[in-house]
Amino acid sequence: MRKWSILFAMAAISTVGCFVYSYFDPDWWLPNTARDMHRVVSTFGREIDNLFLIILFVTGGVFIITQVVLVAAMYRFPDRRDEQGRPVRKAVYSHGSQLLELIWTVIPAGILVFIALYQMGTWASIKYRGSAPRVPPLAEITARQFQWVMRYPGPDRKLNTADDLVVIDDLHFVKKQSVLIYLKSADVLHSFYLPQLRIKQDAVPGLTIPVWFDCDEAGEYELVCAELCGWGHYKMRGNVTVHETEKDLRRWIDEKLAEQGRSQLAMIPGSGSEGGDRDD
Amino acid sequence: MIWRSRLGWMLGCSFLAVAASGCSDAFNAGDLVYIEAPAMTQDLGPTQGNLKDKPRLREKVRAAMKELYGPDPQTIRVPKGMPLSNGGALLASHIEGGKDPGPHPILQVSATPGSAPAPQAGGYAIYRRNCLHCHGVSGAGDGPTAPFMYPTPRDFRPGKFKFTSTPSGRPPHRDDLRRTITYGLDGTSMPAFEPLLTPAEIEEVVDYVMFLSMRGQTELALIDEAATFEEGDAGEALDEETVQSLADSVFKMWRKSQSARLNPKVARTEPTRASILRGRDLFLASDCKDCHGRLAAGDGDSFIDQETFNKIVFGGNPSERARRAEELISRDSKKLWKDDWGNPLRPANLNKPMYKGGRRPIDLYWRIAKGINGAQMPGHYPSPFDDEKTWDIVNFVLALPYEPTLLTDAPQNAPAGTAVADARGR
Repeated sequence: MRKWSILFAMAAISTVGCFVYSYFDPDWWLPNTARDMHRVVSTFGREIDNLFLIILFVTGGVFIITQVVLVAAMYRFPDRRDEQGRPVRKAVYSHGSQLLELIWTVIPAGILVFIALYQMGTWASIKYRGSAPRVPPLAEITARQFQWVMRYPGPDRKLNTADDLVVIDDLHFVKKQSVLIYLKSADVLHSFYLPQLRIKQDAVPGLTIPVWFDCDEAGEYELVCAELCGWGHYKMRGNVTVHETEKDLRRWIDEKLAEQGRSQLAMIPGSGSEGGDRDD
Repeated sequence: MIWRSRLGWMLGCSFLAVAASGCSDAFNAGDLVYIEAPAMTQDLGPTQGNLKDKPRLREKVRAAMKELYGPDPQTIRVPKGMPLSNGGALLASHIEGGKDPGPHPILQVSATPGSAPAPQAGGYAIYRRNCLHCHGVSGAGDGPTAPFMYPTPRDFRPGKFKFTSTPSGRPPHRDDLRRTITYGLDGTSMPAFEPLLTPAEIEEVVDYVMFLSMRGQTELALIDEAATFEEGDAGEALDEETVQSLADSVFKMWRKSQSARLNPKVARTEPTRASILRGRDLFLASDCKDCHGRLAAGDGDSFIDQETFNKIVFGGNPSERARRAEELISRDSKKLWKDDWGNPLRPANLNKPMYKGGRRPIDLYWRIAKGINGAQMPGHYPSPFDDEKTWDIVNFVLALPYEPTLLTDAPQNAPAGTAVADARGR
């Protein structure tokens, strides 16, 4: 009955094949920019991908070795019977091998310790508050069911004053600058997730959590909620726009502030919101 | 060995059975139907005509509705003259009939897939995907998630929307609906759809909401008209001409609203200290404090107190709210606690910078000047507040959350004129 070994070999090969294929398909690979699926756009993204790939290679290597041994054993020792239907080979009864057990305990333990030590720097630079960049906060983001309320400091550059800009689901910052935000939640647990920047942080009611990140490349990215927060969880998305220069960001904030300060209908020409003369 | 394989079969089969039943459409079984207005079968009081004991007239209304708007949500008809973009072409992906009215002036839009694939999903499809679970198939605010909401999702059918820029009681301007869908309503369960839908898709949804709303209003108008007839005279009631003229009057209201937005005659007064204090004095001297409270915490005397309110709204099964209200509020009490839809509401706590209808000065101007449709907030323009006074109050409301001492330190019964003295003192 050698056919079983072939089935198991096929399963292993297709699994490895999926991983190899994923490297060439942007939909399968890690979320990156549309132009270059292998270009990671943030500092933390590169560190995290580095860790991810190390773990992938270690586990992938172990997977391949164990699958080769498994299939080889099945191929080498198939179920064989003589004319009377009795097994040809005699089973071996074993009390185990201490040496083998030692090997397969010490090696994984070593790998785990290596990963635990190796990732510490990355974890510290992303999560330890001491590593937060010394910059004024870009915004205070309050998650609520089911949107992100973003509060940017107004002209006085101070948060939580009357001149703040408040927008919904719209995160804007400048490329190649460390960005600091304060994350809050107004109701339940949410998770602030920037897939392309590999940033994920839970928003916890009652806590104000600083989150920092950067991005090398100007463009459009996405913000999603990564913690099931209720029936409208899937609606909880946001647009992320990374600007080329500080000037572009200020221009966007000024535009939004002007709209937020609107006191008459036709204050901003060409805003497109006057649908009154629409052809019915 | 045999036992094991039998167990395997049993487990496998039961798993498959569960999976198969889970995949079935049983939950959505049945045709999609519009929910009828309650006045069709119930007596709702003297203000609204009803067809409680008039089955033949009921049938007449149903037939007229079918003729005008199509038999069910999946076959949409757009009556001639309905003020929608491109004659209703954004409502669904597949259009039968075409733009030429022909002898029978109805444009039929079918939401069920036809022969020609369409590039866009249409308002109906987007509404089903994103809005239906709260606002319901007919726009009655009765979707499956609606019972869990506070505030309750809007019932579009009476054609009344809270946050509008048109004169009080009028249908909303297209831009009001567009803003609500795009940016959501702060402090409610209405989320912002800006990151989920393209501007073109939002236009389609706006059209579909307007369609449901005008449909509901027509239904109410038809019921009102039919209720004036006796059941015996059902043959004469609601001829084609009357039906069309009733629908036309609804369309006319909506069309008129599209060019009747209230635009403040003067721009906002600079939010100076003096203006903010003038606003405060107006707040304290007028009826604002009766509902919003002397400290603007939303606890004025005109409303039932917060504790009773909480008991009614959150103190048990939501479907038994009316019963709890009856128990807890004495019959002769004139205190307020609900809006025109019968949903519980409270005046806003103005100490929190949360503005349901938008935070732009113009949004607050509209709230103060023309009130909130269907809610207890009345219009104040041009009397008692003219433009300048309204802007002073807007400035005060925008400043208050960051300066709570404005009210806590205010002199009791502040006489007019102290504001200026105060301003000089700072």
